[in-house]
Amino acid sequence: MNIQINGLVPLPLQDKLSNRPSDIWLTQTTFTSGNKIKIKAASGTGKTTLVHMLYKLRHDYVGEILIDGRLLPTIKNNQLAALRQQSLSIVFQDMRLFDQLTALENIELKRVLAQPVLYQSKVIGQMAEQLGILHILNQKAGNCSYGEQQRIAIIRALMQPFKWLIMDEPFSHLDHLNIDKAASLVATECAKRAAGLIITDLEHDAHFDYTQQYQL
Amino acid sequence: MLHQLLTKIINTGIGGTRRWLASIGLFVAVLLILLAMQLQVNYNNLLYGSSNRDSIANFLVINKVVDGNKMDNSLTSKEINQLRQQPFVQAVGELTNSRFKVSAQSPSNQVPFYTDLFFESVPNQFIDVQNKGWTWKQGDVTIPMIVPNQFLDLYNFGFAPSQNLAQLSQDMVMALPVVINVQHPGGLQTFTGRVVGFSDRISSVLVPENFLDWANKQFGTRQQANTSRVVIRTADAGDPALAVYLKNNGLKTDAEKTRFSKYRLIVDVVVKASASTGVVLLLFALLVFSLFVQLTIAATSADIQLLVSLGTSPTQLQRFLMQKFMPANLIICAVCLVTVWLVQFAAQQFLINQQLLISPMLSLYTVAAALAIILVLWLVTKATVRKYIFSVAG
Repeated sequence: MNIQINGLVPLPLQDKLSNRPSDIWLTQTTFTSGNKIKIKAASGTGKTTLVHMLYKLRHDYVGEILIDGRLLPTIKNNQLAALRQQSLSIVFQDMRLFDQLTALENIELKRVLAQPVLYQSKVIGQMAEQLGILHILNQKAGNCSYGEQQRIAIIRALMQPFKWLIMDEPFSHLDHLNIDKAASLVATECAKRAAGLIITDLEHDAHFDYTQQYQL
Repeated sequence: MLHQLLTKIINTGIGGTRRWLASIGLFVAVLLILLAMQLQVNYNNLLYGSSNRDSIANFLVINKVVDGNKMDNSLTSKEINQLRQQPFVQAVGELTNSRFKVSAQSPSNQVPFYTDLFFESVPNQFIDVQNKGWTWKQGDVTIPMIVPNQFLDLYNFGFAPSQNLAQLSQDMVMALPVVINVQHPGGLQTFTGRVVGFSDRISSVLVPENFLDWANKQFGTRQQANTSRVVIRTADAGDPALAVYLKNNGLKTDAEKTRFSKYRLIVDVVVKASASTGVVLLLFALLVFSLFVQLTIAATSADIQLLVSLGTSPTQLQRFLMQKFMPANLIICAVCLVTVWLVQFAAQQFLINQQLLISPMLSLYTVAAALAIILVLWLVTKATVRKYIFSVAG
């Protein structure tokens, strides 16, 4: 499943972005299925905006986004839900967990959302153990630290089938050791699915074996 | 599992007290509609059902206008057939006269009386008094009789006071046998007469049809007599077509009988008022429920948006919310049906004493109305959930 962008620029940043060079904005770019894409950018240059536009959370842009040749705005409601359940998974920068649910329930919700389920419940425990958050699974997500929340959000994103995993500064609250563990888990899961990865970050990194690196 | 998690996320218990009040409103609305439906069905059964010993249905005794210009005021079979074919006539019963001389006298000297008498008979379906004693078979010396209520009233309030005699209750009259003497060419035959009931419908001394047929053959002095009057059963004694027909054909009936149509008017008004109040209440209840759906979705819109952005489909959310909202409505409709059934059962028990037969069960129309209301509730809830889920999901 390829993702194609043509002359894309977010309306609120249009003036600001038109006058500076970018590998993404106002270009014609294709993210080829199975590739590992790194998008690097400084704060305030639209990383999260790009992620939200690709995931169809924002519509305030000019240009086109096509998923497998289909214009993103034409995908609606139940089709969009199917896309998010089967093809696109996401780790939000702001995690977006349900504070009133426990860590485990947040992950379970994603596990049972798409039928048939991809993984049995015990896989959650295995991944949580791998990322060192097994002990907080029964805590309310709202009471977990940012670092813990980030790992919950990562495991949540891995509970479903996907062709692309989009991660928006996913390791910003983690130390190096935990980043390595998380990156390793993500790489394994992407490999299992032969899925592509789009990751945004502030700095250069070597967490993954990137196919392409873009400067936003 | 998904359902449990959604239950934790989406709080559907919003507006507690108001929701209870709306539920009570819905209950009253559905109850009124179903009661109106059941009442209408019962009423139709009473009016048109053949198994009923109904006195509400309209029976009219019809005869020719006696104006003194004609010797014979009897109805010909042609005239009776013509009457039978009118749309407002459901059934016609001919009254048969006795064709022999009859007299009645007291069996005791303490209350002496003597009177010349006559008998008439009519098919049983036209009689508003049904009584175990209302049978006669050949060889019986006791003849059951039905007399008009007016006879007793005339006696009690006119004759008895003027003669300084005791007034009599219906039960006393029914307990008193009278000696019936039938004169015939061969002599005199004596029977025992016993009043078994009082009628408001036919102003005559009625005896069982089979007795009169036998007696006319046995003692009759004249050939088959013409029918002088008939009883008709009609759905609507106030039908203008009936009045016009009677007038054009020189016929008349008892105007008092039109009071039955007043009962019908009252029942109609009650049914219509109950049904329209129910419908108005139902509309309000539907409005309030769609507001609750809207309120619930609005109050949890952030959570719903997050659910949708995680990939929850609007259909999944819609199914979940329907499962949250519909059971209460289904329970309300079920409780209403059970309540109407209990009322129906109680009404049946009560009316059986008034010799009115209705079914102890709910009518199919009532059940169908309940199903229709459930369908409307389902459609409105679904449409509202759908509308607001999609507006929140963007």
